[in-house]
Amino acid sequence: MKILVCVKRVPDPETVIKLTPEGASIVTDNVKWVINPFDEIAIEEALRIKEKAAGTEVVLLSIGQKTAQEQLRTGLAMGADRAILVLTDQVVEPLAVARVIEKLVGTEKPELILMGKQAIDDDSNCAGQMVAELLGWPQATFASKVVLGGDQKGAQVTREVDGGLETLAIPLPAVVTADLRLNEPRYASLPGIMKARKKELKEIPLAELGVDVAPRTRIVKLETPPKRTGGRKVGSVQELVQVLHDEAKVI
Amino acid sequence: MIEWSEQHELIRQTFRRFVEAEIKPNLRELEHGDTPPYAILRKLMATFGIDQVARARFERQIAREKEGEAGPGERAAGPEAADSAAMQLIPVIELCRYCPGMVTALGVSVGLTAAAIMSRGTLRQKERWALPLLTLETIGAWAITEPGSGSDAFGGMKSTARRDGDGGYVLNGSKTFITNGPYADTIVFICKLDEGNEPRERKVLTFVLDKDLPGLTRSRPMLKMGLHSSPTGELFLEDVRVGRERLLGETEDVPARAGAKQTFSQERAGVPAMALGIVSQCLELSVDYARTRVQFGRPIGEFQLIQLKLARMEVARMNLQNLIFRQIEMAGAGKRMTLAEASAAKLYAAQTAMDVALEAVQLFGGNGYMAEFQVEQLCRDAKVLQIYAGTDEIQVSQIARSLLRG
Ligand SMILES: Cc1cc2nc3c(=O)[nH]c(=O)nc-3n(C[C@H](O)[C@H](O)[C@H](O)COP(=O)(O)OP(=O)(O)OC[C@H]3O[C@@H](n4cnc5c(N)ncnc54)[C@H](O)[C@@H]3O)c2cc1C
Repeated sequence: MKILVCVKRVPDPETVIKLTPEGASIVTDNVKWVINPFDEIAIEEALRIKEKAAGTEVVLLSIGQKTAQEQLRTGLAMGADRAILVLTDQVVEPLAVARVIEKLVGTEKPELILMGKQAIDDDSNCAGQMVAELLGWPQATFASKVVLGGDQKGAQVTREVDGGLETLAIPLPAVVTADLRLNEPRYASLPGIMKARKKELKEIPLAELGVDVAPRTRIVKLETPPKRTGGRKVGSVQELVQVLHDEAKVI
Repeated sequence: MIEWSEQHELIRQTFRRFVEAEIKPNLRELEHGDTPPYAILRKLMATFGIDQVARARFERQIAREKEGEAGPGERAAGPEAADSAAMQLIPVIELCRYCPGMVTALGVSVGLTAAAIMSRGTLRQKERWALPLLTLETIGAWAITEPGSGSDAFGGMKSTARRDGDGGYVLNGSKTFITNGPYADTIVFICKLDEGNEPRERKVLTFVLDKDLPGLTRSRPMLKMGLHSSPTGELFLEDVRVGRERLLGETEDVPARAGAKQTFSQERAGVPAMALGIVSQCLELSVDYARTRVQFGRPIGEFQLIQLKLARMEVARMNLQNLIFRQIEMAGAGKRMTLAEASAAKLYAAQTAMDVALEAVQLFGGNGYMAEFQVEQLCRDAKVLQIYAGTDEIQVSQIARSLLRG
């Protein structure tokens, strides 16, 4: 079985983000870059499947600049078999990402696509769904548990939904997106890091794929969340209701 | 080598993540609580597969020795040797950013105790004691210092071995400042063979002891200035009876003095990487603080006296890093530093770490003196680098002696 895992290079969630003066993008100097945490969970899940089912191949895919090699190498060091980097300097929107994945599925023919439920930079949460739609494959998003059928023809995926858990039975091929509690990703081991150097990392210029990646949206403005201010004590329930109504305007 | 490779960076990032997730949050307990460092060190070994790497390397080495192809301690040259040196140094650097004590505890167990057995033990001794030490299944201590003999380790040494007439020995003496002493499973004990001759003329012998041998007692961890996550203690031996199988090399004719000197040299070689970790962390924290701490209406980084401190720290970091690059290159070339060069590197690294850490405390002002800001711990920890593995003064005299030998 072949599993395709999609990996995005994003700023470390611990990094303090600063906006550029024009306010439509972030300052990228001195930013530490990591694998999108949900994608890392997706890689871990693929590796766990591989450990149980011999003969499974885990292929990583990233779309972006050459620097995304770093994240792919990390994934290879964790234990993935090979990686593909679709090279582009332009911003790639979720729909364009989905189209690139669709295109590569044509040549790679994976039985399972594992992705993070969203990337922590733009938090769009739609690439996985779009891939499934374009391919006409079933999808199970926000997975907190994935159990593959013994015949590898289907999977049971538990999803975290409002107010509880929902378990879906889906036939393969399918798209599954990982939620936070699916697993705890491993660290790359030293032997893994040594082996990663010799694994294949294929680069394909985006233009060669002949996919329409023209942007459909434009970022007008980014704003930092309002600074947290200190709390305040109120004297009575009546005053609390008053404040919530008049100042916070939540009731 | 002029810079870290992509692969080195990957190793660094992976270790840094581990250190920040597993050690940083437990630092207070490790430094000021009763938790010894071994559980986290074992987790580190297992997480990164270091125990497997060590086992595989041990098996290859033993196989070569059995074939008679390689002498113990012989070094292979080539890119793999350089890689393996880098793989040992990078974790040391990263751990020392938060916890130089852990590196000491680990280094003494694997780098000194196991290495001493690997370089002069018999095959049987290596398999019995060195392998579990190398994988950190067991903890090791290397004991030479005594209450009356530190810098003059051999001259003042009072610990003795007497032949018992059955091919075995009776050991007596006490050791102090022994890293891992309170918890070690395996102890390499260095003493003199008492044949009724003058102490200065006695042969030096090395024994491998297990913690539960009758007559061996040890102290609780000693209270100290810093390096709290590395337990340090005393050992007392009263008529400890041992068979010949515990005599390192299983003969009285191994050059134990030369062996111990080789161990000194190894001990020294680890200090630059430790210093680089301490200096890098102090610098990073200081730059951050200089940017954000505002006095007289400006970030303190705008004051030239603060800039001087930062610039000096950066110079120190660059120098230490170059020293590490040289160590990696030398490993790749299959060469070892001479004792004089190892001494020079150790002297520079130890003094530099101390200078930088003290300046970092100064740069942080009152916060620098408070435990919360971490530089005070690194400052207390840095001091030990000037004392153990040969004091600064001893390094100076070793360098001078090699210059004047003519
Ligand atoms: C945290 C810690 C861990 C340690 N771990 C171990 C261990 O695992 N195993 C072990 O065997 N030992 C260990 N040691 C001991 C360490 O190696 C000795 O403390 C060190 O060698 C110095 O010896 P000393 O303490 O007896 O000082 P001394 O030798 O008494 O030195 C006192 C002072 O005199 C100076 N001095 C001495 N001789 C000369 C000279 N010829 N010329 C100029 N100045 C001189 C010294 O530099 C120093 O300033 C450890 C020490 C510490 C602090």
